[in-house]
Amino acid sequence: MTETIAAAAPVPRPRKNPLAYLVRFQSLLGLILVLVGGIIFSPRRHGHILFLNTENVANIVRSISETGILALGMTFVIIAGGIDLSVGAVLGLSSVLTASLLVNQGWGLGSTLPLVIVVCTVFGLAQGFLSTRLRIQAFIVTLAGLQAARGLALIASNNTFININYGQGPGNAPPAFAILGERLLGDTFPVATLVFIVLAALATFLLDQTRYGRYVFAVGGNERAARLSGIPVRWVKISVYGLSGLCAGIAGIVHAGQFSFGSPNDGTGYELSAIAAVVIGGTDLFGGAGSMIGTIAGAVMLGALANILQLNDVSAAMQLLATGAIIVLAAGLQSLVGARDGSTR
Amino acid sequence: MAAGRIGMGKRNVVPPLLTLSGIEKRYGGVRALRGADFTLAAGEIHFLLGENGAGKSTLMGVISGAVQPDRGGMTLAGNPVKFATPRDAHAAGIVMIPQELDLVPGLDIAANLFLGHEKLTRFGTMARGAMVHGAKDLLHRAGVRLDPRLLVSSLRMGERQLVAIAKALAAEARILILDEPTAALSAAEAEHLFETVRQLKTRGVGIIYISHRLEEVPLIGDRVTVMRDGVVVGEAPPDAPQADLVRMLVGKSFQDLFPPRAARIGRPLIALDHARFVPAVERAGWQAPRDVSLTVHEGEVVGLAGLMGAGRTELLSSLYGFEVRGQWQGGVSVDGKPAVLGSIGAARRAGIGYVTDDRRSTGLVLGQSVARNIVMSTLAKVTPWGFVSAAREQAEVSDALNRFDVRPRLPSARVVNLSGGNQQKVVFAKELLGRPRLLLLDEPTRGVDVGAKSEIYRQLRDLAAAGLGVLVASSELPELIGLCDRIVVMHGGVTVASFAAGVTEETLRHHSLGEALVA
Repeated sequence: MTETIAAAAPVPRPRKNPLAYLVRFQSLLGLILVLVGGIIFSPRRHGHILFLNTENVANIVRSISETGILALGMTFVIIAGGIDLSVGAVLGLSSVLTASLLVNQGWGLGSTLPLVIVVCTVFGLAQGFLSTRLRIQAFIVTLAGLQAARGLALIASNNTFININYGQGPGNAPPAFAILGERLLGDTFPVATLVFIVLAALATFLLDQTRYGRYVFAVGGNERAARLSGIPVRWVKISVYGLSGLCAGIAGIVHAGQFSFGSPNDGTGYELSAIAAVVIGGTDLFGGAGSMIGTIAGAVMLGALANILQLNDVSAAMQLLATGAIIVLAAGLQSLVGARDGSTR
Repeated sequence: MAAGRIGMGKRNVVPPLLTLSGIEKRYGGVRALRGADFTLAAGEIHFLLGENGAGKSTLMGVISGAVQPDRGGMTLAGNPVKFATPRDAHAAGIVMIPQELDLVPGLDIAANLFLGHEKLTRFGTMARGAMVHGAKDLLHRAGVRLDPRLLVSSLRMGERQLVAIAKALAAEARILILDEPTAALSAAEAEHLFETVRQLKTRGVGIIYISHRLEEVPLIGDRVTVMRDGVVVGEAPPDAPQADLVRMLVGKSFQDLFPPRAARIGRPLIALDHARFVPAVERAGWQAPRDVSLTVHEGEVVGLAGLMGAGRTELLSSLYGFEVRGQWQGGVSVDGKPAVLGSIGAARRAGIGYVTDDRRSTGLVLGQSVARNIVMSTLAKVTPWGFVSAAREQAEVSDALNRFDVRPRLPSARVVNLSGGNQQKVVFAKELLGRPRLLLLDEPTRGVDVGAKSEIYRQLRDLAAAGLGVLVASSELPELIGLCDRIVVMHGGVTVASFAAGVTEETLRHHSLGEALVA
């Protein structure tokens, strides 16, 4: 009897689709292509490839650290089937709060940083709560959250730009905070990038190696099946926004430290860069599938691409067009594989 | 024989509407069709039966232009034809209505019926009035009484099916292929569908009807063709005994499908004594359990019979607390002690597992791997301290794949690529890995072929022998009779009767109608 079933069920094995491999390593492949392209098209001076210049590489990895951190949190949200448009604004709020507390209120780092992070996390959790409890689409709740966070940032900063001066006494931030703008290893490796790398490692571990990560995948893949299996669906859906808020808070602190100021309008549009990194990394916007390593590669790739274009004096307009083309290419590749696999996901 | 009615003589005079001869199709190493023959007469309802993988879908693909045969010929009304695309077949009047209906839920019926060939006014805007009028006419011809201005999303499955048929009429279909049209329908809805199909038949439309439900054959069939392993293994009149059809389908007899019952029945697991469920929010069409008395013992399989809308599904989902909120009143006890049920947490702590009737939307994460799905409800087991233990996961998964005989035995295969029967086995494995003591099952063999059905029955019996209690709701009476130790009949949210094994279909049907209550 069992033999009949076996004969009756010739299952197409997913590993036979070569395109599926391409998608799994799509972001890494893209990254390699961009890096090779960077070396080929890089301007040269005295026979040196400018693209590989230490200074230039440091610039690339520094430039991606903030949107990279946002993209880490965004990956959890998107795999769980949501979207978070508020992260850029929350980054702005975080930078302003940090600057204001350190400079205007004269708080120390030990109290400022945890408070800022908690505020941003709670902001994220509140959005998650609203969207699950009131059943409003995440897109709308976080669009509202974007506006609200900007508003809060304007209030907290009194609608001005807050400069961070380092030193002792009132009106100065603790000098230790300046480390976020510095570099390690003989002035080559930006501290901001180190923060990104540490967080990226933690996020990868959380997504791939813990029960929580499995919950996120299950909820994004099929919410009803997850609920039926006893997974605390509502809690998972709220918590991913908390993670995203947490990441945005840290990114805002890094922002304030790197540039030594807090500005309520900073971070505008960062949410789109973060989403772009996640999508290029192969994560499914419908939820249920994706990877953290893809997101990381996606972020590096976007940074490297922008850098090459800048080195070649390509206009800002062309840079935007190129970025758009890359996103479409990545998404197109994904849906192509989806169609070949016989599913829309 | 009554079946002789559809007179062979008639087909000798006029050429059949459609003939296929010697169709072969190979996919890589798999020979999906190995010389299949098929004929369809105008005004005939021709049943096509076969297990999953027997080649039905491929054969229908050939007819509807989606599959190009490697060998073999096809004639339409006597003329040789060859369809390169589904579009060609459609233009020739061949319309296939797939299981996943291609209707747009957000549009109304009229807009769906005229989708792609909208009627326009001379200003180029939509002629709503003309479309609504035309839609009324089409619905009328399909024998459907529905307002064409209703949104498709507001319709029930049965109504959507009828709209899909009306849409086929709009395309002037001469041949209609229905792929398991009643799979998601209630009994009443199915009856309505049969009515419509019979009307089409009198208009001379040839209908190919694919179904797993053998009991539908004598109701509307004119002829039956059975396929197995890519060839036609036989043809039968519609009044052929089910047992004969099963033998043709799987090559073994109906009684052999059901494993012998175990004699050992243990302590009571769950006991309901005049229990009622009060939902927090009243929902129209949701029959709350009003007065339920039943007991499931260890090692016992209890069946729930009753018509659609009798409250079987509702009883199971409110015992488990799935997508319904409210509280139980009256006697509810688990292990002989009063218990509070009604939430998923409470049910799982009480050792209750639940498999719904819809594995695609509530049972599985289709896009993810078999392994991910199997451990989904028992994540705590494979993630000690919250961290994934790859070794434990692998052990659990390969054990489950072996025990439930999931094909292919490949943990990384995506569930969406498995056959219906194997998907169902994955759902079972997932639920049983948590070692529930009581399993609630809703239509466990819906959309599953006979071979996989018998496999599932065997599994259930084995589990019951090991002490599992099972409460299973099914609309297939032979299934309940063959499988269960006790059958409880529901009507209007009330358990009206209870029978030991050996009860007849007649008795069950009688009580299902609620007639015994009146008498």
